[in-house]
Amino acid sequence: MNLIKKEILTTDLTTWTIGPYHGSLPAPMRLRLSLDGEIITDCDVETGFLHRGLEKACEFQSWRAAVAYADHLDPECAVFGELVLCLAVEQLAEIEVPARAKCIRVILSELSRISSHLSYMVRMARAVGSETIIHYLLRDRERILDLFELLTGARFSINFLRFGGVQADVTDGFIERVLEVCELIRIRMKEYNDLFTFNFGFVKRTSRVAPISKDLVSFCGVTGPNARASGVSFDVRKKFPYSGYDRLDFETPLGQGEGGVLGDVHDRFLIRLREITQSMEILKQLLDVVPSGEYVNRKLAKDSVVPPGEAYSRIESSRGLLGCHVVSDGGPSPSRVQFRSPTLANLLAIPQIVRGIRIEDLPVVLASLDLGIAEADR
Amino acid sequence: MMNSDNSWIVAWSDSLGFPEAMPQWIYAAAALICTFCFVIVPCGALMSYFERKLAADLQARVGPNRAGPAGILQPIADLLKLLQKESRTEWNWKENIWLSVHTMALYSTLAVLPLGSMAVLVNTEMSVFLPFWAALVLALGTMLLGLGQNSVPGWFGGIRVAAQTLAGSFPALISLLCTGVRSGSFRWSSLAESQGFSPWDWTLLANPFQMIAFSVFVMSGLVLLAIPPLDGGLSMSDIHGGVASHLYGRRLSLFQFGRFYGFFFWSVITVVLFLGAWDLPVSLVNSLKSMGAHQLLALSELLWLLVKTFALMLLIIWIAKVNSRSRVDQITDFVWRVLSPFSLAALVGSSLWAGWRAF
Repeated sequence: MNLIKKEILTTDLTTWTIGPYHGSLPAPMRLRLSLDGEIITDCDVETGFLHRGLEKACEFQSWRAAVAYADHLDPECAVFGELVLCLAVEQLAEIEVPARAKCIRVILSELSRISSHLSYMVRMARAVGSETIIHYLLRDRERILDLFELLTGARFSINFLRFGGVQADVTDGFIERVLEVCELIRIRMKEYNDLFTFNFGFVKRTSRVAPISKDLVSFCGVTGPNARASGVSFDVRKKFPYSGYDRLDFETPLGQGEGGVLGDVHDRFLIRLREITQSMEILKQLLDVVPSGEYVNRKLAKDSVVPPGEAYSRIESSRGLLGCHVVSDGGPSPSRVQFRSPTLANLLAIPQIVRGIRIEDLPVVLASLDLGIAEADR
Repeated sequence: MMNSDNSWIVAWSDSLGFPEAMPQWIYAAAALICTFCFVIVPCGALMSYFERKLAADLQARVGPNRAGPAGILQPIADLLKLLQKESRTEWNWKENIWLSVHTMALYSTLAVLPLGSMAVLVNTEMSVFLPFWAALVLALGTMLLGLGQNSVPGWFGGIRVAAQTLAGSFPALISLLCTGVRSGSFRWSSLAESQGFSPWDWTLLANPFQMIAFSVFVMSGLVLLAIPPLDGGLSMSDIHGGVASHLYGRRLSLFQFGRFYGFFFWSVITVVLFLGAWDLPVSLVNSLKSMGAHQLLALSELLWLLVKTFALMLLIIWIAKVNSRSRVDQITDFVWRVLSPFSLAALVGSSLWAGWRAF
């Protein structure tokens, strides 16, 4: 027995600190890895490198200017931050939103969701080193950014939502162009599936890697596509409908464990693909009957104040449940604005799911979680 | 050792006014330098341009279009930029030693690079095996370069390159034996003579086992030399470039060119072994020989060989650009479990085939 023990070659754990800036990280963050050879045994995540004091900054501005700050909550899909703040304030001040404004808000949300999921696919492709598909996907995302530019004048930080509606009405030809882009993306997604999603090498890299169990979903509070990939059917658009989502007919796709294990990287990727399809379905339904009327609540006085009190609103952003807690003391600026971002929960899950994977898979796992560090660090 | 039929080099250097009765090693050295300067370097420049244009076409973008007409001077612009770049201030002696040692060892294989019936300097029974030496030296140099860098990407990159090279050399060697079984010799000249201009005379299409051997040879070569798409050791995103990530300026251009040379010579020997070498139509060769136009014959052979080599390289680049990278453990797994058995089956099959034909 002793003889055998002597023969065993023992190696010590090594540590590797990645970040805050590294090519394999989706955003500034620091990971302290313990490695046994190339296997990750432990991981410690440190964030806060992108902290901008965004919530505090809202307190020094007028209510109106807080929307511009909320816009910067997640630069990649700005409309969600604006929408969640507007919903909270409208709930607090009991501001009516015209049907047309609601419709425009949902169009923008779903376009943002598609654009965010396309960039998610880009990050996945970059993580597995698939070069060609990156350019195709970015080319299509440009079309959506063009639509934003057409409607709002900006491509990323659109700053378009207002309390009680939106800043401007849809311009001529906008609706036709949205339908055109939907059709284009629908056709192209088939090509991309052949080229990338069902590519043998990609499936080999993603299936059975770093699954999130249902227990972990509830333990960390993971929401959005990551939770649905693990089979947890929770969608704010269905459970707590806002802006008229209750009148739309769409499905919330769930992970089916096609890669072998439920909730692995492959499932998380497929969920996004299916959500793009559902978002296009929503857009088609909306664009069939865009309600006529005002695009903003005209009865709202320019100098109206938000009454004292507090309100909480939640929406389904492209990354999960995005919440906003607003406190007002009746003054000209918010007393407190607080966000609940879905990325923070995903960050909590990282140390649990990367144990036992190889470091070559780390970029893929991080990309598959769709981390928006901007909204986690705020 | 020396190829007796190097009269074209002699004739060519005579015309430059070299004295008569010059020792043969000077001719050999001159031939090596000429091969490097007039074949390898222009091929590297052309290939980098073709690669970028092909990738750009595939990826719905423009590609290089500023330097010269249609961006054809882009490789020169890149080289000039890299040469201007300041290197790091500290002197890493390990890095310098390993980079220069493995570069020198790598280019020593120019001596065995077959570029035409009259441009084979070393033509022995061992010639075919000498490029393996280069591949192993390249891997060893890359590994030691990485280990000497004191960085995580260098460390993991170096170890991974070594791992996949060790795995890839076995099936590559076995599938190479298959071609020797067919031609009866491992001399470059006899390998070329056993094939012909028409694709039906190529080793590739001689029998099904040679086809397997060809596929195994190409794929294991990619693994052996860590060439995309099987370059997990160098390009994984967690180490973003591996060994190359800590090289700058001139050292980086030297390293990158070494990797190109590895890819190039592997493609050249693949063409010589399986894809009809430099064989031109017999009638054309005879008429050129009867006219005494040996230089023209050598040049056309070289061009034909390079055309086939470039086609093979572009095909591999095409596949690499579209597909995703595999992990190193997946690559080594694939080599040991798939390529190695297939290479052994190809060897047994082609030996039986050759034996049956001999009866």
